[in-house]
Amino acid sequence: MPDATTQGTAERLALGGGEISIRSGGDGPPLLFLHGGGGAGQWQPAHALLAASHRVIAPDHPGFGESDELPEVEGVDDLVYHYLDVMDRLGLERPAIVGHSFGGWVAAEIAVHSPERVGALVLLSPVGLRLPEHPITDVFFVPPPEIPAMIFHDPSKLPAPDGPPDADMLLAIYRDSTALARYTWSPFMANPKLERRLHRIASPTLVVWAEGDRVVPREHAERYAELIAGARLQTIPECGHALQLERPEEVVAVIGDFLAEVEAEAVAR
Amino acid sequence: MKFTYFHLMPYAGLPDDFEKRFSSPSLTYPNGYFDPELGVELYHRYLDELELADELGFDGIAVNEHHQSAYGLMPSPNLMAAALARRTSNARLMVLGNAIGIRGNPLRVAEEIAMLDHLSRGRVVSGFVRGIGWEYFAHSVNPTRSRARFEEAHDLIIKAWTTREPFQWVSPNYEFRYVNVWPRPLQQPHPPIYIPGAGSTETMRWVAQHQYSYMSVYAPSSLTKRWFDGYRSASEEAGIDPDPEKIVFSVPLYVAETDELAHAQARGPVEWLFHKGLKQGFEIIFPPGYMTPGSMRGMLSSGFAGFENMSYEDLLREHIVIAGSPDTVGETLEQLRDTLGFGSMNVLMCIGDMPHERVVSSMELFAGKVMPALR
Repeated sequence: MPDATTQGTAERLALGGGEISIRSGGDGPPLLFLHGGGGAGQWQPAHALLAASHRVIAPDHPGFGESDELPEVEGVDDLVYHYLDVMDRLGLERPAIVGHSFGGWVAAEIAVHSPERVGALVLLSPVGLRLPEHPITDVFFVPPPEIPAMIFHDPSKLPAPDGPPDADMLLAIYRDSTALARYTWSPFMANPKLERRLHRIASPTLVVWAEGDRVVPREHAERYAELIAGARLQTIPECGHALQLERPEEVVAVIGDFLAEVEAEAVAR
Repeated sequence: MKFTYFHLMPYAGLPDDFEKRFSSPSLTYPNGYFDPELGVELYHRYLDELELADELGFDGIAVNEHHQSAYGLMPSPNLMAAALARRTSNARLMVLGNAIGIRGNPLRVAEEIAMLDHLSRGRVVSGFVRGIGWEYFAHSVNPTRSRARFEEAHDLIIKAWTTREPFQWVSPNYEFRYVNVWPRPLQQPHPPIYIPGAGSTETMRWVAQHQYSYMSVYAPSSLTKRWFDGYRSASEEAGIDPDPEKIVFSVPLYVAETDELAHAQARGPVEWLFHKGLKQGFEIIFPPGYMTPGSMRGMLSSGFAGFENMSYEDLLREHIVIAGSPDTVGETLEQLRDTLGFGSMNVLMCIGDMPHERVVSSMELFAGKVMPALR
């Protein structure tokens, strides 16, 4: 069992109209971790656990966390080109890409655009598909005090803040939320054309869904798994939408087993 | 001093325990609660009040735009202005304003205001607003593009009014290959422009540079003073001597024969306006990106905690509302004029669910006993 002691170090990378922040740590095959609406600017226990067997590269999306807002990155299509540039700059030929929620959507779009650049794909409760009969929760409309109960199956497990939020913290949250809205306000959390393009994905793919997810309905994970050739769907019981934050050990074990299998097959070939 | 009679056209039929049962009158309060019979009555009553303001000698009568809300029943302010154009004759017809940040096609606003200018024989004043936060939910318009859309739409409308031949418009949010609005406005080069401000320094500077009128929103007078001072210094920085008439103080106001009577009659409607009408959570007034980081920091540091927890007495003390006898109201306004330095006022006299007779009586007292001394 990996331990959570690996530290991440933050670096800045000049790209396009500004700089982005990238945290990385660990050794082994490269793993690009793309955060969701929350999670920017953090080296979480799940990152550390993954870093026991992989070189984990966790950038903040432009406009989130410690990354600058890049004027040329306005939508998810721009983010795809942004991450292809990031991968080129960091020499990542065919990394595994793990994306959570919004990051899962971005990961799927990268794999649709450049299937040859993705070694393995893991989508954790991804958004990105437009399924009007199974709407994604309007995260922008949830009153701030209700957010913990929305993202955790058991909100009492959410790490308690050090004290009441100060202005800097509120501004940081508003900035992340603004970045998310820039990419996802309309069409809401989806690219209506993504579904018809998923057949292009060529990498082994694992879709993970949390059984207590109150943001993304199960049908989204099912649709991804159904339309990506050979994809597998695995669920995590008693877990909310912020799955790698609520159950880091279980989620990382599921990802680790999948990647070990993929990597073993690659060696065998 | 110039006086504008401003109307919100509130839906006066909210239940007494509204604030216990519903999170806001905006966006989510089901329209099943709208009573069409009451709707007919209210529209005609409110238009009567605006027409009366014209007769009583107010310099302007004003309507505004709100969507999916019981707070204000004017999704189309231009329709209301059209209804008033041929039944009033002296007052400026003020649309405060069209929410150009959320409009799909800003040229429609250019066309309608130009039409209104002709219908009113050149009395139109054109306000431009971004639209309140919840309206970005209601229109599926991305609030992170709000400011850019507002500025582009403004530039496009002004160019459409002032260019004498067809032109092409391409900007990040709008593309029109043929712009050639008929009619163009009667007033030259275009109708006067009003812009509301709520503390954003970007807005102050922009309004000052364009020499537009800068109008406050409901706020404690200490905040309003900061905004007006900001507008004045932004004007001076731009090398412009700020015209006091372009500094516009907005306030709900009630006048009765005596102070006691005024407070007894104003309390309920004022509480309606601030506790029911303006009941709204952070998430629906400040959707992501609607505020710049600087404006958000300013708001967080102002210590202003919202209207929900302010009592009638708090609202009076902060001059967010003014009520009293003609003498009291006159003295209060003189003091505020001297402290804040405004030369125009937008008074909201139909407050919340106030009955028509009281609104009329308050208007008559204000026009007869307060306005003359302040002019």
